[in-house]
Formats: sequence, structure tokens, C-alpha cells
Amino acid sequence: MKKVLTTCEFCGCGCNFYLGVENNRVVAVYPCPSHPVSQGKLCIKGWRGHDYIHSPERLKTPLIRQGDKFREASWDESYKLIANKLQQIKEQHGSDSIAVFSSSKCTNEENYLLQKLARAAIGTNNIDQCARLCHSSTVIGLAQTFGSGAMTNSIPEIGNADVIFVIGSNTSEQHPLVANQIIKAVKGGAKLIIADPRQIQLTKIATIHLSHKVGTDVALINGMLNVIITEGLIDKKFISGRTEGFGALREEVAKFTPQKTSRITGVPAEQIIEAARIYATGKSSSIIYAMGITQHTTGVDNVMSCANLAMVTGNVGKESTGVNPLRGQNNVQGACDMGALPNVFPGYQAVANDELRQKFEKAWGVKLPSKPGATVTGAMNKFIDGSIKALYIMGENPMISDPDINHTEKALKKLDFLVVQDIFLTETAKLAHIVLPGVSFAEKDGTFTSTERKVQRVRKAIDPIGESRPDWKIITELSSHLGYKMAYPSPSEVMDEIAKLTPSYAGISYNRLEGGGLSWPCPSPDHPGTPYLHKEKFSRAGGQGKLFAIPYRPPVELPDANYPFTLTTGRVGFHWHTGTMTRKDWALNREIPEGFVEINPQDAAKVGIRNKATVKVSSRRGDISLQAKVVDTIQEGLVFIPFHFAEAAANKLTAANLDPVAEIPEYKVCAVKLERG
Amino acid sequence: MSEMKILDKTKLVEFLEKLMPDFEVTVPSYNNGNLSFSSMAHARPEIDFAGRPLVPPKEYFFPQQEEMFTFATKEGKATIKAHINKDKRVIWGIRPCDLYGIKTLDSVFLSRYVDSYYHARRENTILMGLNCNEPCEAGFCSSMGTGPFATNSNAFDLLFTNLGNQFLVEIGSKAGEELIERRANLFATASDEEKNKSNEIEKQCKQAFLYSVDQDRVKAALTKAWDDPLWAEESKNCILCGGCNFICPTCYCFNIEDIADEHEQNSTRVRYWDSCQLGGYTQMAAENTRKTQAERLRQRIYDKFSYVPARHNGAIGCTGCGRCTEVCPSEINITHILGILGRQK
Ligand code: SF4
Ligand code: SF4
Ligand code: SF4
Repeated sequence: MKKVLTTCEFCGCGCNFYLGVENNRVVAVYPCPSHPVSQGKLCIKGWRGHDYIHSPERLKTPLIRQGDKFREASWDESYKLIANKLQQIKEQHGSDSIAVFSSSKCTNEENYLLQKLARAAIGTNNIDQCARLCHSSTVIGLAQTFGSGAMTNSIPEIGNADVIFVIGSNTSEQHPLVANQIIKAVKGGAKLIIADPRQIQLTKIATIHLSHKVGTDVALINGMLNVIITEGLIDKKFISGRTEGFGALREEVAKFTPQKTSRITGVPAEQIIEAARIYATGKSSSIIYAMGITQHTTGVDNVMSCANLAMVTGNVGKESTGVNPLRGQNNVQGACDMGALPNVFPGYQAVANDELRQKFEKAWGVKLPSKPGATVTGAMNKFIDGSIKALYIMGENPMISDPDINHTEKALKKLDFLVVQDIFLTETAKLAHIVLPGVSFAEKDGTFTSTERKVQRVRKAIDPIGESRPDWKIITELSSHLGYKMAYPSPSEVMDEIAKLTPSYAGISYNRLEGGGLSWPCPSPDHPGTPYLHKEKFSRAGGQGKLFAIPYRPPVELPDANYPFTLTTGRVGFHWHTGTMTRKDWALNREIPEGFVEINPQDAAKVGIRNKATVKVSSRRGDISLQAKVVDTIQEGLVFIPFHFAEAAANKLTAANLDPVAEIPEYKVCAVKLERG
Repeated sequence: MSEMKILDKTKLVEFLEKLMPDFEVTVPSYNNGNLSFSSMAHARPEIDFAGRPLVPPKEYFFPQQEEMFTFATKEGKATIKAHINKDKRVIWGIRPCDLYGIKTLDSVFLSRYVDSYYHARRENTILMGLNCNEPCEAGFCSSMGTGPFATNSNAFDLLFTNLGNQFLVEIGSKAGEELIERRANLFATASDEEKNKSNEIEKQCKQAFLYSVDQDRVKAALTKAWDDPLWAEESKNCILCGGCNFICPTCYCFNIEDIADEHEQNSTRVRYWDSCQLGGYTQMAAENTRKTQAERLRQRIYDKFSYVPARHNGAIGCTGCGRCTEVCPSEINITHILGILGRQK
């Protein structure tokens, strides 16, 4: 048996393991004790989640639409068709009538190549990926406050923090190997504050659990800041030496007395005070957050509030101390780093900046567009109004993952031309004109960047299934058909090009990655990488951190007489996103075979349903039927639905209410009603 | 004690290489800093190492996933083709705890009902054990009586002890003896001095263990611990990864699935490692009768320390290897749990 060391394809923890291969089949998994994050441990997805690789449903040849069916086609025919059609649309309607969605499941090299294809071969900045839907507010919020939109610390450091504040992250289910560090820290005496409208597993070991109402995060943090400032628990030296904007912040949070905050958030005033004291008096307090913070119309505000809290107490720029957004997908950090975003080139270099753009124009040998492009969420409206005519999607499934799916479906159906590159005929691929078969992580070389900014190798373990081709190869071949030649012998040479153009990746090469991952910034070939950021100064221009005064804004769609419940959506630990991979495995499916709605016993009695009864949940946008799970771990008035299940798709209910800056949808709050199904 | 031989350390590779034409020779080796069993066709054996690979050698008899048979129906006629694996294999460097684990699996798969898949693999494999000169990090085999030196209660054909420049080799079976006879020129007869040296290493190693568990007290405590709050307390962080079962040298539960090929003409019946810690375990029978994680953790401990001994003449079901602690993302620690039980009145 061959054992190939690689990086997990599921979450951003970036665990490593070996795939055991026999006769070109993945038949075993071996954990990797020497890996600093996984330490020989894995969650069940790492152990068992890879059966989809050999699923009979894998796409094995390109498919071309014929009426309402697909026919198998050759690569050559498909490339020619795509190239002709895209050229034609470009000539008639301009480059910006084409959009490209990249993929945070794919490698850095693939994301780099696809944004290069969009910008250099097509000539548009209409390139984005699902980070828009999970952490676009982080990228923007932390860039404005600290200068860098990523975790400030490495994962193993969390185990040594003495206070951990988890807000809006169900860490045990979504980032199990980060939860491992939290458990270790608590066993070692650390205090744990949890703010979450549900009792998540970690509340069992929490010092204090703040059960705030969904969408009141800004108020909660302003309230904590109020206590910290009133009680003199601020870090004066840090505030004066390393930050700006404290005056305005102080003025704003003065309004958030514990009593007032309590009225907004539903958290008792004493608990707000206690949590504030615990956080502010920790020597190394670390904030951990995920989509409970980001997926709101106030997503950027929420993120900046976390940054405020850290800076006012001097809890950033040290080991085990900082603000740590947990990125969801295996490579969502990398997809952003690689410039699969409408406003920046790789390394967050702005497309609108003439000097930076010229650097890329010179390297790529073409004139590049300077106007930022459309986001994933913004593009949907442009499909509807007809200003975008064609869409190329690599490895994303907006028909399940985007808010308000009925709207998404309408938008995608308006397109003149849709190409989907994926490993399965997903709900989205079914709408395509041409489908190209990509490969799984086991069939290609590349790198993923984990949530701790660590670039790690993905290694080819088996040959591609059927006639499918590695995604990086597909992009280069398509680009050449579009008349913009891309030729790389292997992903290693793509990384060399990335390193040349991206200062934070400048020191990274496949050779170096053989010895283990490297955390960016890694500016030169002899640089060891950077486990924690902002040590002496912030990476923001000028080096100072920026405090923002942030008024509280409630969520957009609140419950009312017709839709009396608040719906919040999320995930479970046994499945991955739109379920295309994990729902094919017997063990994961056996744990949770179908969608469900979590509801409090009082509410269940009101609606007249029992545990396991079928309920119909409807919002202004659609309705779904699914099983009720009556639990006392959720607040009254709130229901929770995981979004993995196509047949009970939570996103038929959610609204495309967007954060005004990040354009992230408010997946965490919308109004619904429940009826016996 | 059976007959003892001496093999010069520098001759080990030669001995194993000479077996390669007839056997798939499997040895412990390092890959990116991690010890694992690998074929000698592409790995050199690691000779001076402490500890054991994280995944035990049970997978050579009971693989993570195993195709049992393929079946098809054509024109109303069913055909079945079994996949019995009879590859001849030698595994060198198996630690005593794992030799004990194999013996425990034998008592499951080769007792009243003989599992033909396990049986074929087991019968065609020669086990060459390697005693431990020092305790591994999390191990407590000395308390379980399963290591650090193997005895008759461990399964082995040959057993190696590292004496520094030589290996003392104990013969455990006819098959083991034959292999030595085929290469008799490499081996010498062991002297008393060498046997004493081995005893001395064993004594010192046993004294160096960080963890000790009072097996009898644990067994006694379990007669009263059914409703103890400890199960809920210790299991509260469990994230249901299944890892503690997967890497346990004595866990044998499996699930069976029929995997249809693309055109649904052939199906393959595959069995996979399963885990009693998962909520969906035994769901095919109805549903998991152990509803809470507390009940499932309790099952895991009772199985190893009460049910297995009851079925197998008192032989303990835990090898003391400490793997379930190492692999647990939720820091659930077996020695800690056994410690609590051992201290109960
Ligand atoms: S914790 Fe994340 S990276 Fe680790 S095995 Fe699970 S899904 Fe994979
Ligand atoms: S548990 Fe004992 S026999 Fe097993 S590797 Fe550790 S020391 Fe050796
Ligand atoms: S290894 Fe730990 S987390 Fe995983 S199932 Fe076992 S006890 Fe639970």
C-alpha cells in the first residue's frame, strides 16, 4: 500500500493525514502525529469522509447540453465551444458581461490561475468565490482595523491562552481541531467565555455562557467595552501607543450601559459585566469567531467590534493573544490570498492601484481592467438585469449555498451561457450548458492555505477518475483556447509565479513545503513564516490599529405577527456544506441522514409538534418540510436549520439581505413561521 | 522458555531481505517523522525506535475497508466471487501490546464462528514481535500485563529483543522456527549472559513507566460504576470521530455496505471499520440503544475491562497502548478514567 501525506479537503483546520492507496483506490486513512494542528487526531470527516472520491456518480467526461439532457463530449469539442461562446459574448457585450466564480475547495494554484484567466484572458475583474458568503466581512473588517484579514495567531497557540472568548463559532462541530486547543487550554486552567444563542458543546466547559439574541453582537461587545472603560480595565499604553480612534469609540460605547445592553441582547447585566472583566483581565485573551459574527448585515461591524475589544485591552500582537476568525473551507483563506476577489490581485493588491496593476500587466503581458468587479451576491442581480450574460463556475454550488435559492435559480436561468466545472452533477451543474469534470483533492498536486494562514501541500494519491482532469490543467487548457496561453509543467511552477507577484508568499516554494507548512507572511526564501501577526506594529498602512465607533443596528428581517420565529442557519459536524461529498458516505449519512429544524420545547408545544414530527417552515421567499428536533439548547423564539440538505434547503428560506460593505448575506437571521407538516 | 537465538543487528536487513521473494515483508519505518508499517519494497526498517505506529497492525488482518465479494445478476442468474486475501506476509517489529491485540482479535474472529477473510490473512502472515526497551509516551502495558515484553499470552512466531548490538530471538511457533532454519547461518545460539541481559532490560523498562493502572481495582470498581456520574463528565467533549475505536488494537466492529458500480450491474460487498462511539452505530438493526455519549463511553470501558474478560477467560481487552488517548480530538484520556475508577472505594 502506498501512503501519501496530504492536507484534509474539508475544513480550514488544515489537518494532515496519509491516504492509503491500493490499485488506484483510496482505501485507508492514517492520521499524522507529527502535524502541529492535527497531532494524530482527526474528526470523522477526516477519518471517513473521502468515499465520494470513488462514487459512481463522479463526472467522467465533459457534458454538453442538448435540450433538457446532456450528452457526453470530448475535451476538445467542449473547450472550443466554451471559447467561441465566451469570445462572442465578449465581443458583443464587453468583458464585464462575463463573470467567474472560483472555488475555496480548490487549490491556491487553481485559484490563482482562474483569477488570471478572468483578468488576463477575459479581461474582467468579475471574479469572486464563496468567501463572499462566509468571511468577506472578516477580510474587510480586519483589514480596516488591523491591516490584515486573517487569524492573528496560529492554532496551537490557542492552547496556551488564559482567556478564550468564543463568539459565533460552534467550534467543536466546525473546527474540531481548534476546539481541541480550547479544551486543552481549559484543562490547563484557562477561562472560557461563550457568546452564542445556542448552547453549543463547548458551553459544557465554559466559565460563562452569554446567550445573546441573534444579531445583537455589536451591542454585546459595546456593552463589554462600556464595562471595561468604566472600570478602568483598558490598556492605556497599547491604546495610546498603537491605536487611533479611541475618543470616538469611547463616546459611542458610553451609551451601552450594562442595563441597556441587557435589554437589547437579552443577556443579564451581571453576565455582561463578568464576561467583560474576565476578558479584560486575561494576560493573553484570545477571541475566536466564525460565521455567527460574519453572516449578518452588520458583518463588518461585528468584526470591527471584535477588533475594538482586543485593541482596547491590548490583547493582540502577542503569542496566544489576538482575534481569530475561523475560516470554514479548507482553502477559503487561500482563495482570498490568491486574488479570487473582485477588487484585488493576489496578496490583496488592489486592482485600482495603478502601480500594482502595472506590475501584473507587465508580468502577464496584457492590459488589465482597473474597475473592481461584481461579487458573488452582486452578480446574481446582474444576471437578472442582463448586464452579465455568461458565468463560469469552478467547484461551487450556489443552488444550495446561496441565500434565497429561488432567486438564485431565476438568476442562473437568465444566463445565456453557464459553464460548471465540478466533480459531480450538482444542483448548479444541472443548469449548465457545459459541464467539465474536475478532480478531487486526491487526484492532483497543489497547496491549501489553512485558517491559520498556513500554506500546506496537497499531494496526488491516485490518477484522475475516468477522463476527468486536474482543475489547474483545465484552466490552462481553456485559457490557451481563449487565446491567452498558459503553460505550466506542474502546480509547482504556478507557485513560483505566485511567489514572484505576491509579497506575503514570496518565500514559499514546493521545495520548502516538503519540510511542513509555512504561515504567511513569508517574504523571502529564508523567512521561517509568521505564526502570529501585528507584533510590533499593525500591518495597516501607517502601522497603527484603528478603533471604530460602531453604532448598533438590528438585523434586517425580524420576526413579526406573520412570521413569528427567527431562523438562524448553520452546519453540523458530520456534513460539509452542500453535502455533495459527505452525503455519499455511509458513516456520515448514518449520523445525520436528513435535514432538521431545532426548536425549543415551549415553541414546539405552541406549534403543536413533537420531536421527530414533520414541520413546514416558511419564510417570505419559500418553504421547506423537514423533521423537528426538539431541544432545550436553543432559545425560545429561535429555530436552527443546517443548510447541507438539498431536499430541505435552508436557503430557500434565507434572505439576500446584504452587508452594505462586504455584500455578505444575513444567513443568520430571517423571519419564518412553522406549521405542522 | 522456548529456544533462544542471537542475530547480529547488522544482519537483520539481510534476514528480512532474504524473505522478500516469498513474502511481502512489512516493517516499521518513518515517513515525515511518523512511524508506520510499510512494505520493505519501498522502505527500510527502523530498528532502534521507541513506541509504535498510531494505526496498529490489526489492519493486515482486518483492513480499514475490505472487499468481501462481488456479486452480479445476469439473466436471472446470480454469480458471486469472493475476494479472500491469501498474500504471504511477514510483519517485523510488532510491539508486544499489538501482539496481544492480535491474540484478542483471534479470539473473536477465529473462535466459534471462523471469519474466512480474517482467517486467510492471519494464516498467511508471520508475526515477528519486537520487545520494548523503553516505555512509549502514553503506554501502560506493564499494568495490563501485555507488555513491554511479550509472553505466551501475546501472539508471535518470532520475538526480537534489542540487546544493543544484537537481537535475542525467541521462537514462538513452528513457522517461525522454519524461517530461522532456512537462514541458520545468520543465527547463533543465545548464551545465559545474553538472556540475562534481556531480563535486565525488561526490568528497567518496567520501572520507567509513567502511567500505572490497578487492573484489579478497575475491574472491581466496574461492578458498581454503572450509574456513576463519571461517564457523563468524561464524555462531555466527545465529538464522535470514531478514532478511539478505529485505532484500538482490539476493536473489531465493522459495518457492511453493498457498493453498486456505475451501471449497477455488479455490486461489491465491503466491510469497514465501525465505531461504537458513533450515534448511528447499530442503526441498521433498529437504532443505537446507547443514546447518550455517556452510555457509549461506558460501553467502551466496560467492553475492554469487563465484557471481553468475561468472554475470554479473564483476559483483559485493553492492551495499554494509549492510542485512544493520543488520537482523541476531545482529550478524553483513558488512563485518567481508569485512574478515577482505580481510586473508587
Ligand atoms: S478537523 Fe477539519 S481538517 Fe481536521 S480532519 Fe476534520 S474536517 Fe479535516
Ligand atoms: S504500550 Fe508497551 S508494548 Fe506497546 S509500544 Fe508502548 S511500551 Fe511497547
Ligand atoms: S476519539 Fe475521543 S472524540 Fe473521538 S469518538 Fe473517541 S472519545 Fe469521542
